[in-house]
Amino acid sequence: MKKLLTSSLFWVLILAFAVLTACTNSDSKEKNEPTKNDTSSETEGTKDDGAATGEKVSIEFWHAMSGTGQESIDAIVKGFNESQDKYEVKAEFQGSYEESLTKLRGVGGTKDAPAITQVFEVGTKYMIDSGYIEPMQKFIDEDNYDLSQLEENILNYYRVDGELYSMPFNSSTPVMIYNKDAFKEAGLDPEKAPETFAEVIDAAAKLKTDEMYGFSMLTYGWFFEQLVATQGGLYVNEDNGRSGDATESLFNGPEGLNVFRFLDTMNKAGTFGNFGTNWDDIRSAFATGKVAMYMDSSAGVAGAINNAPFEVGVAYIPHADEVQRNGVVIGGASLWMSKGIAEEEQEAAWEFMKYMTTPEVQAKWHLDTGYFAINPAAYDEQNVKDKWAEFPQFKVTVDQLQDTIPGLATQGALISVFPESRQQIVTALEELYQGKDPQEVLDKAAEGTNRAMEIANKTKQ
Amino acid sequence: MTRIGRVWRKSVDGRTAALYLLPSIILFSVFVFYPMFRTIYLSFFLTDQTGNAAIMVGFENFVYLLGSSEFQNSMKATGLFVLYTVPITIILALFFALLANEKLKGIGFFRTMYSSTMGISVAASSVIWLFMFNPSIGMFNRLLGVLNLPQIQWLLDPEWALLSVSISTIWMNIGFSFLILLGGLQNIDEHLYESSRIDGAGYFYRLRRITLPMLSPTLFFIITISLINAFQTFGQIDILTKGGPSQSTNLIVYSIYREAFINYQFGTASAQAVILFLIILIVTILQFKLGERKVHYQ
Repeated sequence: MKKLLTSSLFWVLILAFAVLTACTNSDSKEKNEPTKNDTSSETEGTKDDGAATGEKVSIEFWHAMSGTGQESIDAIVKGFNESQDKYEVKAEFQGSYEESLTKLRGVGGTKDAPAITQVFEVGTKYMIDSGYIEPMQKFIDEDNYDLSQLEENILNYYRVDGELYSMPFNSSTPVMIYNKDAFKEAGLDPEKAPETFAEVIDAAAKLKTDEMYGFSMLTYGWFFEQLVATQGGLYVNEDNGRSGDATESLFNGPEGLNVFRFLDTMNKAGTFGNFGTNWDDIRSAFATGKVAMYMDSSAGVAGAINNAPFEVGVAYIPHADEVQRNGVVIGGASLWMSKGIAEEEQEAAWEFMKYMTTPEVQAKWHLDTGYFAINPAAYDEQNVKDKWAEFPQFKVTVDQLQDTIPGLATQGALISVFPESRQQIVTALEELYQGKDPQEVLDKAAEGTNRAMEIANKTKQ
Repeated sequence: MTRIGRVWRKSVDGRTAALYLLPSIILFSVFVFYPMFRTIYLSFFLTDQTGNAAIMVGFENFVYLLGSSEFQNSMKATGLFVLYTVPITIILALFFALLANEKLKGIGFFRTMYSSTMGISVAASSVIWLFMFNPSIGMFNRLLGVLNLPQIQWLLDPEWALLSVSISTIWMNIGFSFLILLGGLQNIDEHLYESSRIDGAGYFYRLRRITLPMLSPTLFFIITISLINAFQTFGQIDILTKGGPSQSTNLIVYSIYREAFINYQFGTASAQAVILFLIILIVTILQFKLGERKVHYQ
């Protein structure tokens, strides 16, 4: 009896382990199954109104916006569905960018794929290579759509070999946000933020108090990429991966080293505050006066102004002293059209995308979320003008984007293994903050990225 | 009567058994065996971006992993994590279970309290701990501030991060261990205590000679389960640290997740999963070989 009990317990445990291993990571996938809500009743309604229109074409739109972004998208989709009676768009939140991309991999290229998917900017290369998608250029050419009405600097990022593969949607850039009150107390000019690395280091030393660090940056690869790009530095070879598949990282060159030295100097001087990898942590540190200057996304400006009990300034991101400022690379996400779905569904998706780029919709989107309007005509809308008059800080983000010098560096790198590379940078930054040598940790990250690119190129079909 | 017919008739028991086992075999095949063999298969390949096996590389994934400092670090972190969490969880749970096993007025309230962490999901409790560990507005640093002690970067300092995650994990796991151990304690025959009391045995003598031996099957069970759970910790890492800072909390399961679903390298991820499987297999076998001798079955 005893023998039987133990041996069966043993096997049960082995099996239980196998089950657990097999399903460890699947738990995040099952939220928000699309509910077939009341489309039936709405279709009936259309039939009553005008029999000529026939059935509505219904498409799915997968996005990764939660919170205010989701509310805004729902309102925009509702507006589209009410603006015409041929198409019906259903917006579905699919979790974070990574999660929704993982889900897309399950259905990509089949007729079950959503007509439109929102994919983050570093997924661009992956999507082009995946074969899941229909290039946007096809619809632009067929429809003679006028692209010149959209923001050139944003299109630059998503344009590959002269073709636009996806429709830009939510775009943001990094900015430096600072505490004007702290600047006054430290005897600095609150209207003139430091512009170069040396000026920031200097200001950080003056701003440092027992309670407050001078400068901070979220431990996130994106900010590093931006600080390299604004010096005109490339991230990888092959013209930042735009003239061919990149094979070697360049970010451990002089520009990358400048950035790491800049952070290292402040870290060693004790004026740099490390608040980790979580956006909320660094934002709350700023709002509670634990850090005087930090780097955030332009989409975080509204939150910083609302949450801080002091006056908030917004400035361009700093650059190395010896070089000219090049500007910023677009971050955020774009909308991709699926391949393999019915033609009328693609047509519906295209109509919806055109609607998304109208000035009115973009103005609403910009005001709701702080993302850029991809259609600059939105900035002439009255509600945007009013908001800018009240909060001139918003305008800084747009100015910084429009001041950007177009070039390979500010166009942004194009590699399929970006998520992995960013992780390498995070590790490098964390080791830097522990006092390791800047060049050494950068080289290690470059090596890891090289290996990832090598595997990706080898296995590409 | 042919030989085949005889064999057919003789094996009737076997066939009946197979019929009864069929449903669970089908279920296990779909949800356990197939993924398991698929994982082993993939561990010998490099995969393309859609996760299909692309290039056969033999044992190269394993060689790469065993030589990579990151993976060695993952193994070390996992080992430390198991060491930090399992013994303390079980000792604390046993302590609470012994307390809650006393027959007192209102003991039901305490039993509920001690086991309550079982009712909170890993995700929810991790978020609560995340707030408490927050460097600017977290409760722990506020407390340290009030006591005039230096602030600790709970989740940002590589020296502290694994400890912080362990503390929250211990808290999360105590409920379950407590409940199982309390159940074991309640099952011990009252008469044993009565007779020993008549013999004049003291509390600690009874604890050592009656309670622990009688509880040993339950203890053995909970130790095995806790060990396996600790090796497979994922949720709190994902929410609290994402494997950072400086990889100090990058436990193997989290590293598998990152390799597979962020880096899309299913080959190396599968190889890691196979290594983890072997480690747990060995630990469990060892435990059954060594630990089982001390278990007293009635």
